[in-house]
Amino acid sequence: MPKEQPIELFMPPNMLKAKVGGTFAGLDMAAINRAEAAMETLKVEFSDWIAKDIARLGEAYDAFVANKSAACAGDLFRASHDLKGQATTFEFPLIARVAASLCKLMDALESHDAVPLQLADAHVNAIRVIHRDKIKDISDLTTLTLVEELEARVVKAVAYVTHKG
Amino acid sequence: MNGYRFDRLKILVVDDNQHMRKLVVTILQAFGAIQIFEASDGERAWAILRDANPDVILLDWQMDGMNGLEFARMVRTSPNSPNPFLPIIMLTGHTHVDHVRQARDAGVNEFLAKPVSVKAIFTRLISVIEHPRPFVRTKSYFGPCRRRRPNDEYRGPERRTGAEGTTALDDSPVAASK
Repeated sequence: MPKEQPIELFMPPNMLKAKVGGTFAGLDMAAINRAEAAMETLKVEFSDWIAKDIARLGEAYDAFVANKSAACAGDLFRASHDLKGQATTFEFPLIARVAASLCKLMDALESHDAVPLQLADAHVNAIRVIHRDKIKDISDLTTLTLVEELEARVVKAVAYVTHKG
Repeated sequence: MNGYRFDRLKILVVDDNQHMRKLVVTILQAFGAIQIFEASDGERAWAILRDANPDVILLDWQMDGMNGLEFARMVRTSPNSPNPFLPIIMLTGHTHVDHVRQARDAGVNEFLAKPVSVKAIFTRLISVIEHPRPFVRTKSYFGPCRRRRPNDEYRGPERRTGAEGTTALDDSPVAASK
């Protein structure tokens, strides 16, 4: 990238440091341990939270099937993107992986009409099944096989549409 | 123990997912923060920004309406921005290097890929407190310097020299002022 001229560089006053004080002496393990403990207390809610996120994904998918508008595609992408980012925290890493694959499918295809519904549907159903069967083990062989198959099909679908277009 | 008074900081958490907000807020409270504001979209976040003038923002990328990138650009460049220097930590499910570049070009200080961890949030906060980046103004960009930071921890011999030794990505300062 060509360098832009002129460039002005300056250091604003460090207001944060002035406010919080202290000196950096490595990670504050007491604060980190407190936060880890606080997260532990939240874990009882994770199951309910991910159930709601999956229900939202299902609703977004149904809306997209009924109406392949940009708004509905955006809702479906955001619902799957949330699961991609959060499901591992909520102890379902393979749901995060399937959701990432669905994100890739939604993101890579320029036209919403080009999204293969059967493949999107397979992702949504896989997420539901992983949650229903409480599969939290990242090395569960059957689930891994399913996830890898979905990922491979997304690669193929994206390549096919890109090549065709 | 480093004695940071996180209770003195006003922190704004912007995420359209209420579960993620609760998770992040819980972590921040455990660090000692008490002045935490929440917003579920960019419009509400902008209102809080103007009313509460927070010291730091944890900002999601993917949101309905104004997304995190647009919000970051507004903070940096809007004539109505209450604080164009506000430290912004972007917290996102995006993980590709292109996304990091886009966030950087929007004026984000720190990038944090989900899934979040306590340690990752803590280190990003420490980073904006202890190692703030200088700001850069060009014709098309205003925000934290987009050069990579030098590795202050490295004590070994110089491994690169001359042109290859520079770490500039885009911004190459020609004038500096306080």
